[in-house]
Amino acid sequence: MHRSILAAVGVACGTGLVLAQAPPPPQQTPQRPTELSITLDNPGSHPKIGFQAIEVSDSRADVRAAAETILDVLIADLEFEREFYTIGRKASAGIPAASTPQSLPFSRWTELGAQFVFMGSLREISGKITVDVRLIKVQGGDAGRQDFGQSYGGCTLDNPRYCAHAIADDIHKQKRNLDGVARTRLAFTSDRDAEASTSRQMPDAGPGKEIYLMDYDGAGQRRLTFNRNLNIGANWGPGGRMLAYASFLANGPADILLTLLDGRPATRPARGPDWAANHLPAISPDGTKIAFMSSQGGQTGYYDVWVVNRDGTNMRNLTPNTPRSSEGAPTWSPNGQSIAFTSDRTGTNHVFIMNADGTGVRRITFAEKCDRPTWSALNFIAYTLERPGGKDIAVTELGRMEARVLTDGLGSNEQPAVAPNGRHVAFVTTRFGKRQIAMVDYPDGKFYRQLTTAGNNSYPSWSPLAK
Amino acid sequence: MRRLALVLMVSLLVGSAACVKKQPAATPTPQPPPAPTTTPRPTPSTVTSNVPPPPPVIPPDPSISVTSDPLMAADIEKINKQSPFKPVLFAYDSDALDDVARSTMSANAEIMKKYGTWVITLEGHCDERGTAEYNLALGDRRALAVKNYMVSLGIAADRLKTVSYGSEFPFAPGHDEEAWKQNRRAHFMLTAK
Repeated sequence: MHRSILAAVGVACGTGLVLAQAPPPPQQTPQRPTELSITLDNPGSHPKIGFQAIEVSDSRADVRAAAETILDVLIADLEFEREFYTIGRKASAGIPAASTPQSLPFSRWTELGAQFVFMGSLREISGKITVDVRLIKVQGGDAGRQDFGQSYGGCTLDNPRYCAHAIADDIHKQKRNLDGVARTRLAFTSDRDAEASTSRQMPDAGPGKEIYLMDYDGAGQRRLTFNRNLNIGANWGPGGRMLAYASFLANGPADILLTLLDGRPATRPARGPDWAANHLPAISPDGTKIAFMSSQGGQTGYYDVWVVNRDGTNMRNLTPNTPRSSEGAPTWSPNGQSIAFTSDRTGTNHVFIMNADGTGVRRITFAEKCDRPTWSALNFIAYTLERPGGKDIAVTELGRMEARVLTDGLGSNEQPAVAPNGRHVAFVTTRFGKRQIAMVDYPDGKFYRQLTTAGNNSYPSWSPLAK
Repeated sequence: MRRLALVLMVSLLVGSAACVKKQPAATPTPQPPPAPTTTPRPTPSTVTSNVPPPPPVIPPDPSISVTSDPLMAADIEKINKQSPFKPVLFAYDSDALDDVARSTMSANAEIMKKYGTWVITLEGHCDERGTAEYNLALGDRRALAVKNYMVSLGIAADRLKTVSYGSEFPFAPGHDEEAWKQNRRAHFMLTAK
């Protein structure tokens, strides 16, 4: 599994030149060539796809609009993973539409470089839509052969984007053996609705911050919490079926709330003494435990990494032997056997790894100050690197123990959240003005995308793949 | 000294009622950003009704002259908006208490002794430098440093609760030292009286 993802990364295209459809980075920055980015430069192996408009027999405007949305979103999803060269729809606008694979004008498509053409048809019955999609080979002796075909029922006129995401994930899986992230979501903190929350009991402190959710591409941003206080540090459980976050109580410290996102009240599995604060929950990959940062060890202002079962049992301190330093910001290894965390036991913050029972602590970062590790499925750990000039996202590859900076130094960049396929890193940046959630690709540090625009946004967490 | 503080407090409250006192920029107490919806301006009838003080319903305490003290009658939110407590400020990445901090706390302790039922939440705050995660703990250490010193001045520990807001709720919105120095603070918030 890991190997196949790595292989896919290994051939990902490194030249922005050919990927004319991808959104350009907001700021052109010189790329330092790295070993990885050089091996990426292999454009020949990427299938080139042209897109025929999705055929709709219905003349209704909303049905036609849904078909257009599905195609636009699908193309954006495919471009996001950089596994295909997409031929712009403008470039192919003059090619007559075909209703069968054999009637596709192959030579017109191959003139544009296409190897495959996407064909789709959509029909609607009382709000429900079914989309049939095919990839048809247009080059060589077997032109007209179907290379991919799938029917998608259960989509709705209300949510055509999700339909497109499902198609994109399937195409990535079948054609590129890649776990696409088109159906993943992000949770984050924002103060965008703070004006509606001014009843906070603290007149001269700032406004409230709530937890929000959005699709991986920034669509569908919506508020999850509304308690008019401060809600931070959201973290997803397996399959995106649960979410934990820290919520401040009225005039008191924060505690961890765990919600199954089903409308039932959240639980407080890590609840300790009223004076103690619990922060930065990390749900284990199997969903049975929550690691978190807590001051429950004593009223000293020094925190520890604790762990508790999801039902509130077996709560214990994993770092009790360093009373004059703070340990926090835990993140689980993909197999659930290790935890990376931050500690200032050496005088400044650095990232350490320990076994999930607290034994076997070893340090993995050495430059400047490092905080908020996020352990990726690709065997690297991303974190906030704090230097005198500002903050950037850095990455340590655990195999070679090699560290490097991922972001380009524009603005302040912190709080990384890694996509479940390891190929993208979401983070908080001030490069667009206020604090916004952005993404950049791993490992080459290209293709910056801004996901939020309203208010100040922070603490992104990327959901696991839906299973 | 104590009387002077009281006079100042009274004048602050009255001044805010009439909306004439605009704090100069050099004041050590930074002005909070105005709440967009609530204007704390009382109606004229409220002001006039304050002139003859209402008969005190608070049980008399022999050590305190209740009738002349608007702080005794004001509600918590109003007191916090024109707080008699000054914040304790800190150096960058530090929870150490300097001479200014100690004298601020002495004055705040006098107020707490005067109003013996008041319960304060000490909020630890940090500037935006450092990571948000690190600042959660740093703010806690600042709040606890102030609590411990206040206890050493004779304030009962159970009247002092602590909470760290890290760098999540900056008081001054700027991104320079002028703002940062106001944001590195332990803030005294009245939460019960």
